Amino acid sequence: MRRTLRRGAWALSLLATVTAAAGCSSATSSGGSSGSNNLTAPGADALKGKGQVDITFWHAMSGVNGQQLQKLVDQFDQQNKGKIKVTLNYKGQYDTALAAYKNSSTKQRPDLMQMYDIGTRYMIDSKTVIPMQSFIDVDHYDASDLQPNIAGYYTVDKKLYSMPFNTSMPLLYINREAFQKAGLDPAKPPTTLDEIMADARKIKAAKGETVQYGFGATLYGWFVEQWNASANKTICDADNGRTGRAAKVTLATDTNIKLLQWWQKMVKDGLAMKLDSNTDNGDNAFSSGTVAIGLESTGSLGQFVQGAAAAKNPFTVATGYYPKVNASDTGGPIIGGASLWAMHKDDAAKERAAWELVKFLAGKQSQVAWHTSTGYFPISKAALDDPADQQWVKQKPQFATAIKQLEQTKLTYATQGCSVGEMPDVRKDVENALQAAVLQGTDAKQALTAAEDTANKQIAAYNTKLGG
Amino acid sequence: MRRPPVRETLLGFGFCVPALAGLGTFVIFPLFQAIFLATRGTDINGNPSRSVGLANFAALFTPEFGTTLLHTLLFTIFVVVVGVTLPLALALPLTQRLRGMRLFRTIFTLPFAYSASAASVIWLLMLDPSMSPVNWLLRLAGMTAPGWTTESPWALITVAWATTWVVAGFNLLVLSAGLAGVDEQVLEAARIDGATGLRGVSRVVLPMISPSVFFAVVTTTLTSLQALGQVQVMTDGGPNGSTTTLVFSIFHNAFENGNNDYGLASAQGLVLLIVGMALAAVQFGVIERRVHYR
Amino acid sequence: MSRLIEQTTPASPAAPAGRAELRRSKRSPNQPGRAAATATYVWLVLAAIVLLFPVLLTIVGGFLPEGQLVRRPPGLFNGHYSFGNYVAAWHETVVPLLPALANSLFVGLVIMLAHLVTSCLAAYSLVFVRMPLRKTIFWLFMATIMVPYEAIVVPNALFIRSLGMENNRWSLVLPFLANGFGVFLMRQAFRQFPDELRQAALLDGCGHLRFLCGIVLPSVRPSLTALAVWSFLQGWNMYFWPLIISSSNNSMNTLQTAVFALKSNGNGTQQALVLAGVSITLIPTLLLVIFGQRWFVRGFMAGAVK
Repeated sequence: MRRTLRRGAWALSLLATVTAAAGCSSATSSGGSSGSNNLTAPGADALKGKGQVDITFWHAMSGVNGQQLQKLVDQFDQQNKGKIKVTLNYKGQYDTALAAYKNSSTKQRPDLMQMYDIGTRYMIDSKTVIPMQSFIDVDHYDASDLQPNIAGYYTVDKKLYSMPFNTSMPLLYINREAFQKAGLDPAKPPTTLDEIMADARKIKAAKGETVQYGFGATLYGWFVEQWNASANKTICDADNGRTGRAAKVTLATDTNIKLLQWWQKMVKDGLAMKLDSNTDNGDNAFSSGTVAIGLESTGSLGQFVQGAAAAKNPFTVATGYYPKVNASDTGGPIIGGASLWAMHKDDAAKERAAWELVKFLAGKQSQVAWHTSTGYFPISKAALDDPADQQWVKQKPQFATAIKQLEQTKLTYATQGCSVGEMPDVRKDVENALQAAVLQGTDAKQALTAAEDTANKQIAAYNTKLGG
Repeated sequence: MRRPPVRETLLGFGFCVPALAGLGTFVIFPLFQAIFLATRGTDINGNPSRSVGLANFAALFTPEFGTTLLHTLLFTIFVVVVGVTLPLALALPLTQRLRGMRLFRTIFTLPFAYSASAASVIWLLMLDPSMSPVNWLLRLAGMTAPGWTTESPWALITVAWATTWVVAGFNLLVLSAGLAGVDEQVLEAARIDGATGLRGVSRVVLPMISPSVFFAVVTTTLTSLQALGQVQVMTDGGPNGSTTTLVFSIFHNAFENGNNDYGLASAQGLVLLIVGMALAAVQFGVIERRVHYR
Repeated sequence: MSRLIEQTTPASPAAPAGRAELRRSKRSPNQPGRAAATATYVWLVLAAIVLLFPVLLTIVGGFLPEGQLVRRPPGLFNGHYSFGNYVAAWHETVVPLLPALANSLFVGLVIMLAHLVTSCLAAYSLVFVRMPLRKTIFWLFMATIMVPYEAIVVPNALFIRSLGMENNRWSLVLPFLANGFGVFLMRQAFRQFPDELRQAALLDGCGHLRFLCGIVLPSVRPSLTALAVWSFLQGWNMYFWPLIISSSNNSMNTLQTAVFALKSNGNGTQQALVLAGVSITLIPTLLLVIFGQRWFVRGFMAGAVK
């Protein structure tokens, strides 16, 4: 056997010399596409005489949100019977969806894709999309119903590149009963890191049967971005990449160091639960009643309310503004979430069909249904004035917080968030820094500096790729 | 030797063609492609279109990659040691003529029905900080549970344990099959001799089932070396990279998070190839000589 | 190596019968004393609790209402069971399970059949056909055994991608239709075939294909089943490849990758639903482990040399 193996290896290496020269070209000839961002979108006649047009739609909406999206798409299919048929494809969380997109050949890519806010710059750079603006121009579509500060995020060079769909902001979530038990007023949720710590101490002192920790949030890079925006700090140069191509991030700032040190202390004093960067675990910790104060997107409210009611010790969910690092901070959270991107295909009918679906999903009726079932902020101004929506908001006061927070947030470079092609990687770097500091006890500044170095290398590499 | 007739030769080659074509296209040829790819960098859309020289190979000699290899080694050692000794400690008592042994054996092999991803989902739940039954038991005993998937040494152990749990079920089958071949008088004699406990086992029984043990070690090593689902589902390589193993690293660099660094992944794949060949040499060269055949 | 297979493969039907006979003839040769028996039971029961609880959690947890899940192990047995989660998991449209089941079966069966055909043909020519380069070809096959699949997964994925085949079910199996180990296993089996019989058959004017299918294959049936089971499980248990190939299409999930999608879709708040879904994916293998242990061992033992 041993002899056999040795000879086998020899045979293999012989073959190597024979084929090495000839055989190495096919790996490069894979997918990808070229395209231009100044395409003219197909008009309504693109669908004429095509029979049923099948399009695929990739999304990252799980659980309740995914089911609601399915309902909307079913409605759309019903309305367009015989003309358009949509295949929904759940791609996992945003990161996974992005990876799936990059790993697919042009042919297999979807016709419509939901992409998170931080993927915006990449999608534009990829030159694989048709800007929504092209459709809007061709159709003379009235875009004035879109919430301006939401559309602002996805407008680059005065073009609306993608249609905002599920817009969210981070909120502070609290377990009302746990607050009352600790003698705290659930109507006055903590607004700064220091207040969270003080409240968590009281909750810990009064800890009940299930609530084990005062505070618990996923070590999610998104939250750090939010804290920086709240502190009105840009993290990328060139005004967060809004006035030019960003080349550098600044992470090891006083704000971030303070944040990480606060989190370390929270964990060390047993006030915060140790969680990793998987939002599932953080969600579970809050909705099972294990932690009394949590951070999540407005889009999680729907499932939190559901989960809290079904928990072993049912509780009610209350919300507060996203906390600030320092009481003096003047910014606000980033208006984020995800948007819909139409892919540039060599098939006008599919491109047009995708736009039809986008119009449907962005319309008032869909947005009312979407808002009231998921908690994602409606992108249509008319939706907020709809009686059904207003009544629902009245019944769910937790949502009022989100609406007020959105209204109060000023649109600045900081609250627009950093626009850089490697933002998904930067977020991961920040998460590694969080994990190193909070879970492994690395010095906060050291962890952040390491993340900053890695991120800057990645951004430089990305920019090189664009150039070459 | 007489020259074989042409028809015979053609037929022989013809019979080999399906297998050779399959292996040639999807095993041998990709090996060279991998070498070539290792010198490439990808553009932002994931096309390996740029040459980066030897940069990807240089990245194999960094402390980060060394840590990855170390994790792979520790992970493999844990799974092999626990995944073989635990079933051995269960298989031996199961050889006794007592009631219910069949039932126990079935129970012990049930985890083998789990794929890596299913086992990971269940163990994540078993150790979920907010609903872990394990933590509840620890609290009853007055102990504080560690952050199973969030603290550095524990995360790797947790991932390895989920793997071990599945592997142990299979290894129990293997070792039981081996023990079934051992004369019961020998097992009995080992007991009467007073050669009980570990000494009896290692001196008398182990050599007799060494082919089974060898087989269990070989398959377990390969399983743990190639483990991906466990890491991806349970920790995604974290916290801060402390559960990143070689295969996970290949997956992560090439297919996760929009990285699309096929070049680096290919270079790391070549390291895996070397590790695989070295293992084959060790397993068949060194260990086999010590395996006793009856 | 072949000795190892014979040694560890409980293929011969005589072995269990022989053991049973031995047991009957001895007067409880392996019956421990009372104290020893108690100790044995304590150890086994402890181990059973640790090893079995996750299995119970999977299956029973799927019957519990959402939010009532464990924390305290006894909570699993609170009596409030319903099929609701199982029904919901089966009808779940975000991660459909039926196509995943079909894909897993497809992958397992196609790979199994392909391995059988390609391995038997190649092994036959290596053993029975007089041709040049016989040894070189054999070493080539052996060499491929040493290549861990993960080492070449990147070029293969790019190749499938360049063909634009990710949406095609066949891309799940295409790289795995031939296997060096299968060739090796069948070669070892064919070599046991008596030379006189072969001479006789050839003298009778028996063609190669008829000789292979009519005479050789029936005589190596244990090896064939071993390879079949081994190959099927190789396909069934695959994770890395389906994960990256199915990434562009949910209906391309196999059961193994569907489990990950289920978990991700469960979003941390629908644990019972996830458990029910996972339980459904486990049904085939659980049945096999409980009722078909012998086949498992045989198939995996065949992998002894790998």
